[in-house]
Formats: sequence, C-alpha cells, structure tokens
Amino acid sequence: MEELKYIEFENYLKNELTEIEKKAFENKLQSDADFKQEFEIYKALETSLSSKFKNEEGEKELRKTLTNLGNQYINEEKGTKKKSKVISLFNYKKLMVAASIALLIGFFIFKNGNPVYSDFANHSNLELVVRGDSNEILLKAQEAFNAKNYKTAFAQLTILETDSPNDIEIQLYKGICLLEMDKFSQAETIFDKISKGNSAFSNKSTWYKALSYLKQEQFEACKNTLKTIPESAEEYKLAKKLLQKL
Amino acid sequence: MNKKLHADHIYIEALLKNDSRVLSKLYEKFSHKIVAYVRKNNGNADDAQDIIQETLVTIYHQAKEKNFILTCPFDAYFYLLCKRRWLNELKKRGTNRVTIIEDEASIKDEHKQEVEETELFEQQSLLFESKFKELGVKCQELLKATFKIKSMEEVAEFLGVTYGYARKKKSQCMGKLTQLVKNSNEFQSLKDF
Repeated sequence: MEELKYIEFENYLKNELTEIEKKAFENKLQSDADFKQEFEIYKALETSLSSKFKNEEGEKELRKTLTNLGNQYINEEKGTKKKSKVISLFNYKKLMVAASIALLIGFFIFKNGNPVYSDFANHSNLELVVRGDSNEILLKAQEAFNAKNYKTAFAQLTILETDSPNDIEIQLYKGICLLEMDKFSQAETIFDKISKGNSAFSNKSTWYKALSYLKQEQFEACKNTLKTIPESAEEYKLAKKLLQKL
Repeated sequence: MNKKLHADHIYIEALLKNDSRVLSKLYEKFSHKIVAYVRKNNGNADDAQDIIQETLVTIYHQAKEKNFILTCPFDAYFYLLCKRRWLNELKKRGTNRVTIIEDEASIKDEHKQEVEETELFEQQSLLFESKFKELGVKCQELLKATFKIKSMEEVAEFLGVTYGYARKKKSQCMGKLTQLVKNSNEFQSLKDF
C-alpha cells in the first residue's frame, strides 16, 4: 500500500499519469493532509538531492577558488601581523622565499610517508534489513558488521549466503570481513570474482582489492589495481586520492 | 511577488559561474569585517575563512537549486549570515561565555527575511543529506545514480539491473527517505512545509 503511494508520487512528478489519474491524485492532495505532506517532502527531497549531486563538481571547483582567495585575502592579514611583530627587519620577499621552501620541504616529507589502510577503509554500513522480510540472521549480520565485529558478521553472512548464493552484496561484505581479519588471499578471491562480474558492486570490489594490497603494503600492486577503476565509478575519486599518495 | 534584483546580485552570479575576478572583489570588500567580528568573539582568521567559505557555498547551492535572487545589499546579508554561522559554531564548540557585540540594527527587517531563507535552505539540505546517509548502501547508490544520470534506462544499465526494477526501487528508496525525514525531530522544527 505504502509502496504504491510512492510509485504514484514518482509517476506524478514525471508526468506519467493519465488525465484521470492525475485529477484523482490532485484531489487527494487537497483532501488528505498527510498525503500532501508526504508528497511535499518527497518532492523537496527530489529537488534538493538532485541539485546537490548534479552540482557536486561545481561545488568542488568553487571551493578551490574560494580557498585560494581566502588564503590570499584573509591569511595574508593573519601572516603580516605576526611577522611585523617578530621580524620586522627582515625583508618581506626573503621571508616569502623561505616560507615557500619550508612548504616545499613539508610537501615532500608528506609525500614520502606512505598512506595507511585505516585512512581509506571506511566501510559503508551494511543494511540488509531494508529488503523486506527481515529475519534474525540478517539483523545479526548487520549489527555485527556495523559494530566492526567482523568475525561474527562473517559467520552470519556465511549462513545467509547458503540461502541466497547469488547475492553479491553479501559476498562483498564477506570479503570485507575477511580483509579486516587479515585473511588476504580468501578476501582477494572474493573481490576478484565480483570485480570481474558486471554487478553494481564490481567497481567497489576492485577498490577493496586495492585496499587489500594497501593493507599488506604491496604498493605497486595497489597502484595497478586502482588504475583499473573507471572514471565513471563512484570509487574513482577515492582511488585517485589514494593514487596521489602512493 | 515581484522581486527586484539588487545590483549586488553580481556576487551571486559570480558564485554560480565561479568567476574568480568578481569573487576576489567580494573577498576584498567584505571579508575584513567578518574576520574582525570573528576575532572579537573568540575566533581567529582561520575560523573566519571557514565561515566565509561555507556561507558562500551555501549561497551557491541555494542559487543553483532555487534560483535565489538577491534583493538587498550583499554586504548586510552576507555579514549577518556569517555572524550567525559563527555564533552557531561557538555554541557547537561549547563556548558559552561570548561577549557578542550586537549590531543587527544595521540590517532592515525585510533583509533579515532573506537571511532566514538562506538559513532555512541550509537546514533543510543538511537534514536531507543526513537522512540520505542513513539509507542502506544499495538505496544510496541507486538514488545517487538516478540523480546524476538523466534517463532511468541508463541508470538501470549502469547498475546492471532491469529498467522496471530500477524504477520500482527508486520510489521505494525515496519513500523510505521521505519517512526518515518526516519522522525526524529536525523536521518538526522546519516550518517551511
């Protein structure tokens, strides 16, 4: 019943109702306050999130500009105040050169430090219970995983897998559990299998394969794996970030 | 409602177009006052820089989504927004003993409305975003795809599912999100529905 309501919202917003259906829908909006409120939320969510995601790139670009300008107009103010107090005899230009050398050195030192697994291993929560019929095991697996209790989660997921052997999400999360328990070769077998398939999880799985290499400090292998993640993938940004640090 | 565009709307345009020339004027003209305010109230220049940037990014999103039109001087509008954001930040940090230097008289009531609109816009977006993150991975992925890719056919292809499934799943996930928003405490305090 609830589900139908949202499908109707969607069809109305996409203008895919017949004239009669549309009339009925609009009548219901007028007479049923609760229906109307939910529709307003649904609509606002659609506009807000789609705008947010579409402008993600634009926001990033804008942030770059603003950071530069901020450094230029605000930090300058901060910097000169300090300097004028302490070393007013120094020639400003010299100071700038010194500062940029210091910055460069800092940059290189930073670059030489290798990235660590834990910086990049932010697993999104497991939420299997969404799929309707929730049972005990689903819930247990989910709770254990989200509480970083990977051993228990692995056991529960294995039970679940016997019921739905084709559920790739379950397999992927099994892989993550194995990775967390440092069972690399088993984890990688799972990641390989998923990333070769064409499910929605294949890129994510490639990403985890790379993380597995990272955890074992096999940086070259990690790099090569990261490079296979396509630009269209959601993990691309993360992959790029990690590549830069390697 | 016949809204009249203020000449300072150029700054909004500049945000939309990422026009660094005009934006640098904005920093040149308006940032000092905000830096001074933040400094007077338990903050430093870095804090001020963050406050300014976050405020501008919010205005950017509001302009993108709602075709926001500036009808008052940017100076007053922007200053008040930054000030309030800083006070909020202080509250979050638990700094209670602030001596707030009040000079809100300098902004007219009608302009205040514009400030409140922006704040409401931000609160709403933040609420939506945080509830979005409460959804399961699958829902998040699917919704992100539907918002970024125009046609549902392509979304289905991208995710490797059938068109019918993608559509059904989308309204299901959106329905779940609607419920999350509706039942949240924050939503009760947002009056704009």
